[in-house]
Amino acid sequence: MGPTDEDLVAAVQAGDVSAFDVLVRRWDRKIQGAAFRVLGSPDEARDVSQEAFMKAFRALRGFKQEARFSSWLYQIAMNVCRDKLRRRRGREHLSLDTVVEGGEPALHQRAVADQVVHSGDLARAVAAAIETLPQEQREVVVLKEYEGLTFPEISEILGVPLSTVKTRLYRALSQLRIELERQGVGIKEMTYGLR
Amino acid sequence: MDCADVRDDRLDVLYGEAGADALRRVETHHARCATCREEFDALRGVRRSLGAWRLPAASAEWTGRARRQSPLVGLAAAAGLVLALGGAVRLAGVSFEVAGGPVRFRIGMPDASAQVAELKAAHRNELAKLEAQIAEVQARPAALEVERESALLERVQKMLDERDSRQLQQVDGRVQTLTARAEAQRRYDLARISAGLSYLDGKTGQHAARTTELMGYMLQASEKR
Repeated sequence: MGPTDEDLVAAVQAGDVSAFDVLVRRWDRKIQGAAFRVLGSPDEARDVSQEAFMKAFRALRGFKQEARFSSWLYQIAMNVCRDKLRRRRGREHLSLDTVVEGGEPALHQRAVADQVVHSGDLARAVAAAIETLPQEQREVVVLKEYEGLTFPEISEILGVPLSTVKTRLYRALSQLRIELERQGVGIKEMTYGLR
Repeated sequence: MDCADVRDDRLDVLYGEAGADALRRVETHHARCATCREEFDALRGVRRSLGAWRLPAASAEWTGRARRQSPLVGLAAAAGLVLALGGAVRLAGVSFEVAGGPVRFRIGMPDASAQVAELKAAHRNELAKLEAQIAEVQARPAALEVERESALLERVQKMLDERDSRQLQQVDGRVQTLTARAEAQRRYDLARISAGLSYLDGKTGQHAARTTELMGYMLQASEKR
């Protein structure tokens, strides 16, 4: 069993820079995965991961280990994702995030979703459905469903109360249910997958 | 219990984070609420569907660049690239010319042997300068040490002199104060003695006058008899 994150962080803080490379190798793919699911772009996900690690490295001296390193890293990565989405919003006239909570998805997303249903690919249907979620709900779904974090951990990462995390997740799951059904993925398919 | 009241508990159950109490509350509620039961099943189905979206397989595009590059490696690579580029530009003899026309740049070494000789001479000069600097630095410590010690001694001596001078001034000041006080006291005492003597003189004079007067009366009386 290798050194824990806490050991590695302490080593970096003591001046052993190579310990940070171990942390990068350990968490890079997870962070990239989370960023990819939030942003939908592998290139941006790589950028997010790089930027998150750079920020973490710069701030590591002040890191008190009161929180887990991974939670702290996810927190940084989610902030970087938000920055990217904000910048993207400025560039795109019709953004993915123009969908308000509980509102109608954007027109081009409907087209994408229809395409997905015809392709018969459940994974793409899910990806398209998640894209319709508002950013805040998408973050919670990604952290809970794909990163397997606990509710208290997500609450810490996002800096919101536990009840808010659950509310966002509940709304997200309800929205995803509607969206998947709209795409032709019914309860039956949800349970057994597309045929 | 209201449907909304068990919503958070239902999520805990859905994700396997529920305690025994929460589980019991949800089961009790589901036993009598078909809508919630149905919704719970639907959410379970949504979760199963979500599981279908996996990250792209460990393809070169997904992991290759990222796995090879940590931020530190990235920085080092960038620095290396800049250095290499600079070196290449220097070695390739890239030159920019502005001679009465558009800006031109030339890549190549028009007179390689002359440039090599020039570079060698420049390197020799740099080496000679560096050697001189090293010799200077090596010679410095002993002289510096002596300089430092004498300067230190001088400073210490100066500080001691200053302290002695300060102490003498203080003693002088105190002596002067004491002398002034003693003089004042002496004058005051003299004045008091003088006043006492005058008083005594006065007393003595009156007594003598009375005695003389009495003696005069006694003489007159004896003469009458």
